[in-house]
Formats: sequence, C-alpha cells, structure tokens
Amino acid sequence: MFSYFDVLSVQILFSSFILMANKRIKSYIKTFRIQSLLIALTAGAMGFSLEKGRIDLLVVCLLIIVLKVILIPNMLEKTYASVEYIVEKDFILNIPILVILSCALVVFSYFSVSTIEGINSGIINAQIVNSMSVILIGLFFMISRKKAIGQIVGFLVVENGLYVTALFSTHGLPFIVDLGVFIDVLTAVVIMGFMVFNISEKFDSIDIEKLNKLRG
Amino acid sequence: MQYAAYVLIQLLVIIMLAPLLDGIIRKIKAFSQKRTGIPLLQVYYDLLKLLRKTSVVSEESTWVYKIAPYIVFSTSIAAALLVPVTTKIMPGTLPGDIILLISILGLGRFFTMLAALDTASMFGGMGSSREAMVSILIEPSVLVSLFMVGLISKSTSLPQIMQAMKGIGAPLTYPVFVMIFLAFLIIIIAESSRIPVDDPSTHLELTMVHEAMMLEYSGRHLAIMELGAMIKQLVLITLLVNILIPHDQLIAVTGIGALVVSIFIYVAKVITVTIIIAIAEVCTVKLRFFSIPNLATLSFILLFLGFLQYFILGGSNV
Amino acid sequence: MGFVLLAAPIIAVLLFLFCSKRTLQHTVSVLTSTVLLITAVFITRGVLLWGKIEYQALGGIFYVDSLSIIVLDIVLIISFLVSIYSVSYMENEIKNEKIAPGKLKIFYVLKYSFIFTMILALTVKNMGIMWIAIEATTLASAFLVSFYSNRYALEAAWKYIIICSVGIALALLGIIFLHLSSIEVLHGSQYLDWPALCENAKLLNPSVVRLAFIFILVGFGTKAGLAPMHTWLPDAHSQAPSPVSALLSGVLLNSAMYGIIRTVAIVNRNLGSNAYVGRLLIAVGVLSIATAAIFIITQRDYKRLLAYSSIEHMGIIAVAVGVFTPLSIFGALLHMINHSFTKSMLFLSSGRVLQKYSTKDISKTKGVLRVIPITGTAFLLGLFAIAGTPPFSVFASKLNIAISIFEIGGFWLGAIFLLLLAVVFVGIALNLFRIFYGQDYVQDKKTSTPSAESNFAGIAVIMVLLTIISITGIFIPYELKELVLNAQNIIIGS
Repeated sequence: MFSYFDVLSVQILFSSFILMANKRIKSYIKTFRIQSLLIALTAGAMGFSLEKGRIDLLVVCLLIIVLKVILIPNMLEKTYASVEYIVEKDFILNIPILVILSCALVVFSYFSVSTIEGINSGIINAQIVNSMSVILIGLFFMISRKKAIGQIVGFLVVENGLYVTALFSTHGLPFIVDLGVFIDVLTAVVIMGFMVFNISEKFDSIDIEKLNKLRG
Repeated sequence: MQYAAYVLIQLLVIIMLAPLLDGIIRKIKAFSQKRTGIPLLQVYYDLLKLLRKTSVVSEESTWVYKIAPYIVFSTSIAAALLVPVTTKIMPGTLPGDIILLISILGLGRFFTMLAALDTASMFGGMGSSREAMVSILIEPSVLVSLFMVGLISKSTSLPQIMQAMKGIGAPLTYPVFVMIFLAFLIIIIAESSRIPVDDPSTHLELTMVHEAMMLEYSGRHLAIMELGAMIKQLVLITLLVNILIPHDQLIAVTGIGALVVSIFIYVAKVITVTIIIAIAEVCTVKLRFFSIPNLATLSFILLFLGFLQYFILGGSNV
Repeated sequence: MGFVLLAAPIIAVLLFLFCSKRTLQHTVSVLTSTVLLITAVFITRGVLLWGKIEYQALGGIFYVDSLSIIVLDIVLIISFLVSIYSVSYMENEIKNEKIAPGKLKIFYVLKYSFIFTMILALTVKNMGIMWIAIEATTLASAFLVSFYSNRYALEAAWKYIIICSVGIALALLGIIFLHLSSIEVLHGSQYLDWPALCENAKLLNPSVVRLAFIFILVGFGTKAGLAPMHTWLPDAHSQAPSPVSALLSGVLLNSAMYGIIRTVAIVNRNLGSNAYVGRLLIAVGVLSIATAAIFIITQRDYKRLLAYSSIEHMGIIAVAVGVFTPLSIFGALLHMINHSFTKSMLFLSSGRVLQKYSTKDISKTKGVLRVIPITGTAFLLGLFAIAGTPPFSVFASKLNIAISIFEIGGFWLGAIFLLLLAVVFVGIALNLFRIFYGQDYVQDKKTSTPSAESNFAGIAVIMVLLTIISITGIFIPYELKELVLNAQNIIIGS
C-alpha cells in the first residue's frame, strides 16, 4: 500500500535528476512544472488515503496546482521572455558529471538520514531519503547554473524538496504554516523575478558571474 | 512432439509480429503528422518483395559481406528462442541465460559492423563507428538492468526470473521496477535505432547510424538484415514485457487454450509498449550525436536510483 | 493590546499607499513608531508583572515572554529612533538627487512591512510561523537593500535574497525535523508550539532533534550572519541606505539569533547536556569572530567594516550561548541589547558621514571631527564602545562572557577569544581612526549639504543612543535586569 508513495517519491527524485540534465531555461521551467504536479498528486493521494481524511492536504494539493504548476512557471516564463538573451552554455560542468555528482548526493543523504535512530522503526524510510535528496540536488542545481533564472528554479526545487520531506515524514506541517510557506514562496519568486529584470537592465545579462564587484 | 510445436509457435509468433511493430510505429508517426501513412502491412509487402529480388554484391567485398546477413538473422532468431515468449518452456535446447542472450545479440551487432566496414564505403565506416559508440554507451545499462532483475530473483535464467517476478505480484507498483522499466525503454530506443538516437526513416549522411550500415545491401540480403533488426527489437521488447509485466499463462502452461490466450495477452502487451515507444519518438527530436551520452547517463541514473531504492533503502519490502 | 503591535505597521503601510505628500508620509511614519513604542512600554510592564502574555484569539498564536520582549523592545526602540532619523536623512537624499522623490513612499512601505515581519517573528508561539516571519523579513528588506538600484546595490540585494532564502529554507527543514521528533508527543493544536515543545522536550526523539538543530543553526545562522554563511552580510549592510543598515544590523540579526536561542533551549533540555549544542555553537562563533577579525584588518570601506563588526558580535553571542552557563546567557542577552544600540548608532553616524563625503572609502574620508564635529565625536566614541572599551556597555557584556568562558575551564578558548577581540580592536583602530583627523577633504562640493550639521533630529537620535550605551555600561536598570534574568531562566530552565 505504501509502495505507491514510494513510487511517487522516486518519480519526484527522478524529476530533479531530469532538471539537472536539462540544458535550456525553458526546459527547466517545464521540468519544474512536472515535479510540482507530482508533488500535488502526492499531497492529494495522501489526503485521500489517510484514515481521518485530511481535507487540508487536499486544499494544499489544489494550491500547489494553482501556484507551482501554473502561476509561478508562467511568471518565470514571462520573466525569461522579457530578458531574452542569446542561448549559451549555462552550466559549469558537463551534464553527465553533474548527474553523477547528484547520485553521490543521494548516497550522502542516505547516510545522513541513517544516523536517525528509529525512523519508521528500523528500516530507513526511502521516502525521506528521496525527498532530502531533492533538497540537496536543488542546492547543487543552484551552484551549477550561471544564469539568475536557473537559481530561482533551484530555489523552488529546494522548496519543493522541503515540502515533500514534510509530507512524507510528518504528513504535512500544520495547515497555517503550509499556507504561510506558500505565500512566502510566491512573494520570493515575484521579488526575484523583478530583480532579474533589474539585473538584466543594469548588466545587459542575467549571468550572475558578472555580479562580482563586491568583495572583501 | 508437443515441445517441438511450442518451439514452432514461438518462432512463428516472433517472425510474424516483428514487422508489424515497425508498421504500427510508422502509422502513429504518420497520424501525428496528419497523414494517412502507408498501410499497416506495407512492411511485410516490402520484405516479401525484397526477398524475391537478387542482391547486388560489390566486387571489392569479401565473404564477410555475404555471410553477415545470415549471421545477423540467425543470431536474432537464436536470441528469440532464448526468451520465453508465450510459455515458460524455453525452446532452445541450450541451457542459456541472460548473459548468453546479451552475447548473442552482441555477435549479431559485431557482424553488422564488420560487414559495413567490409565494402570500404565511406558511409559504412561512419555508420559502424557510430554504432560502436552507441552500443558502448548503452551496454552498461543493459547489463545492469538485467543483472538487477537477476539479483532480485536470484537467478540468471530467464524462465526463473519470470517466475520470480510473477511471485512478486505486480512488479510495476515497486519503485525499483518502475525505474528499470523506464531505463529499459531508453535501451530499446537506443538499440533499435529509434528517434532520439537515430532516425530510421532518413538517409541523411550527417545523422544516420543504422541505415548507414545497411546502405550497401540490396535485395534478399537487405530483407534478411532488416528482418533480423526487427526481431532484435521485438526480443528486447519481449524481455521488458515478460519480465516486468508477467501474465499467468506464461508461467503455468496447460494446453492449446491457455496458449492462445497467452499469445493474445503477449501481443497486446507488446503493442502497448510499441505505442509508448512510438509516442516517445513523436514527442522528441533527434539528439545531437554528442548528446547521446546524456541519454545513456539518464538510463544509467534510472537504474542507479532503482538499485538504491531496492538494495539499500527497502530490500525487505519486495 | 498586543495586537496593536501587529496592526499598527499594517495600517501604516496602507496609509502610505494613500498619502502622497512627503510631509504627511514622514508624520505617519513617526506617529506609527511612537504608537509602537508606547505599546511596547505597556507590554513590557505586563511581562514584568505576569511573566508572559498569551492571547487565545486567532488560534492563540500571540505569545510574548521575557526572552521575546527583550528582542522586541530592541526592535521597537531602534525602529522608533530610525524613523525619526530617516525624516531628515531621506529629505537630504532627495535634495542631493540620490533618489527620486516618489521613492520615499516605497521606502516607507517597505520599512514598515519589514518592521511588521520582525514583530511577527518575535510575538508568535508557533515555530513554523516564526520561520515564515523570518523568511518574510528577507523578502521585505530585499528591495530596501537594492534601494539605490545601482549595480552594486543590485548585486548586494541579489546575493542577499538568494543566500538568505536558501539558508532559511534549511531552517525550515530543521523545523520539519523538530515537528517529526514531536509528532508522537504533541497533539494537533500544539504542533510546533514553542512552550509545548519546551515542556515535553524530554520526550522528543533525540536523534531527530540533533539533526533538526544542525539545520536550524545553518538556516538561522545564515540570517544571523554567522561565518561561513555570512557572505551576504557585508554587501547588504554596506549598500543599503544607512537607516536600513541600522535596522538590518541592530535588529534583524537579533531576530535570527532569537530563533537559534529558542531552539537551543529545546535541544539542550532534550539532550540533557550542553555538549552537542555547545560544540557547534562555539565552533561557529569563534569562526565568525576570526573571519570578521581578518576582514576588519584589511578593510577599506567603513560601512563594510561596521558590517564585519556585526558578524564578530554575532559570533560573540553564539559563543556565549554555546557556553550555556547562567552567567554566559546573561552576558549574551545583554550583549544583544548593547550591540544593537551601539551598532545602529554607528550606522546612523556613518550615514551622516556618507552624506557629507559621498564616499564609503576610508582613505578618501578625512577630518571628520572638523567637518561634522558632533556626529564625528559620537562616531568616534561609538567605535570605542563597539571595540569594547570601558565605560561603555559592550565592555560590560563582553567581560561577562569572557569570565563565563574561563569559569567553565575553557582556558584555550578564552585565550583565543580575547586574542581575537584584541585583533578586532586593533583593526578598528588602525583603519577607522584615520578618518577623524587630517585635512578637510570633501570629495564633491556640489553634492554635499551646505551646512555641516543640518540634521538636528538625526543628531538628537545619535545622542540618545550614545547616552543609552554609556549609561547601561555602568548601571543596569532594575527592570532590565529582571527581564534578562527571567529570560535566562526561560532558556536554561530553573
């Protein structure tokens, strides 16, 4: 019965691998949409399957679909369209190496979670390992991309990973906290998008390697 | 006697079904481009027509060139006989397993590449060098996926693997098998020269891989070569569906009735997977040749994740 | 009464959106912060009388005890002083054409949303909401950092928002783990409530709590500017307008530190000893002091130097919390207060210097004492104070912390601690004292204000702060001592 969630958690993890292997900004955004959809599915499935019937999870599922599947990706696409630049290499290492390093992150998160005693009585919970790996891969994605939009997507993936971790480890945070986190994420993306726009105006590029004036 | 009949049926099913898959894929592609496309059975007619024609052989070529089509065809047939298709009984009298299966397929590929080099044509050399690269890249995934299945069912013999999989119930509800399924789809696409890796429908010298190797062949030789390649594709699909989506009749065979049902289920499964492959082919564009390592990495990562899920995180679940 | 704290900034933000006259905006700003200050007095009295204030309304999220009231009072007093200071500061900026007149409205809207988020972070019971509020402080202040919207400010703001958002995301992971550790102990409505967690601390799953603490330390530590997650801090503090720098340094860092202290209280109760938390906090703290010391010695920009000094002081507080004896906690809380007042005074004075000289380069700023004598003197005394010379209050709290380190027998730790403080002192003396003497050198005659000391309200604010830090260095009022002792009991447990 729970293997159903196992499959979903692996799919979410795999979608972050695909994100890592994406080359263009448009495909990042598309992959992010898919990942969020999977998370919404997980939340919805969990809302139905828990004994008490958690209505808040269903609401959250709807919220994810509205915010992370539709609104935020659309906003990112719009930002991207307004700061269009010549397509160029956006990653620091080549893709197979990035992906293999991400594998190492999965192993790392396995070892860090395995230090927890008694998490789900003896067997290490695969879902928590997977969702923590999503966070780590999101962080790694942020440092592997040079364009500002890539970093925003990385941040969103970290946020997704956090949400999935909460979902799998504790069946979601208290509802009011969930709501607050969504509002924060939405505001953060709006602000970051606006800032990307400003940066592209001042620097004629959204390459964050050009942001190197302040040191020491 | 009954045994021989099973062998014959399996052989017949494989040879009759293989060209149909190509027809289905072409039809779906045609629909996606808003064309009617060629008839479903056109592949059969083409093959029959080619079989009736004599083949032209280059004067510069050696015996390798002439013998290669037959070797390719017979390796494909041998591989087909090693895989239980409709019944548990493995028709081959050899005690073969997945390792033998992979080597037999490798032998066929080796001769294809050799024959392409033999005529000393420019395209042949190019095609075989590309084929070598693709196969080197995809080989680890093939081995790892089959061995993983073997490890889980604690055997390398295909009938036993299938039996163990049936014992699990519905393998595709477990993450590890979902991962293997997806990885194997990528393997099938790469091995049977389908779109992200190679475009089977063009003769564009910059992109072709498999077609480049076939370029010199004509007539009967070409027909046999093509049929061999189609059977190889079907064998891989068969491996996928019979291991990961096993059905009852496959395991416990009893008489003609069960056999007929089994054939129907089998054909339905194969056609479903073929449609998935066709959709994948429609949705993607051909990759740059140097991006193929990325695809291979993808399939390898899938297997890695599956491996992790099963052997480290939750081995006792399955 | 408590909800006035949350309502007043929101009402102010709405009012700013509707009024377009600049004088009106300044009036609203000063009035709002006065209302907040008066409310703070009442709430402080309440906390002194009853120990804590809790309301049942809105699901009982409002909760103030002695620990939060200390940080809250710092927030409200400094935001009051800063809003008085900003009146003439922002008018000067507009006159010098540094910013467009219309941007004043945006400034105030952002400033009051920033203050609202900080008040929210300090007055909620639920750690999840506290996290949301602390994350919201980043969002509210991002555009304040990029307020001048030149290249440098944009770079600083981008680093600020990315590093802090990601860092704080890790804190959320920590809070999720905290929730996980308590899921079998607490009931639905108590989830993540700090008092409930603290009461049942012994029952939580210790290995999960350990993991949670690491993530919360990294997350809130990023926001508090602890090394090695400090890299956003010098950029943001030096590029923001000076009143905002004062708020960021004096107030925001404390709010993040407050989050860490709350968690430490739970974790230490749970683990029963201070060994685990102490090791981590002392390591991070000493690293912060050392990093700051190195950068202070080689610094060429006085606002960046002040920013690094903030990192140093956050390091000192982290070390003090890590030592975790009653004396060190007392010192840490006192240091929080003293550092906030001293550092915001310094940033406000540096704002005056910056407006006068329009450069942040130390070597181009000369003769401050002659050009702006009053602010200059206050700046100089403030530097002595922040470096830890008696009779100023920072000295008193540093002394407490140093004594507590030696008391637990950490001879080497104490030695390193004092050595690093000495290095910082040398760095500040070496670099910054240069600007006070020498030729009057005003780089750009045109942009500087005609009369040297025109911002009388600003000078008054600086003087008030100077008085506060001088007096508390010698004499701690009874009420303050009472509050700090209560807070110390809350953290350590009586």
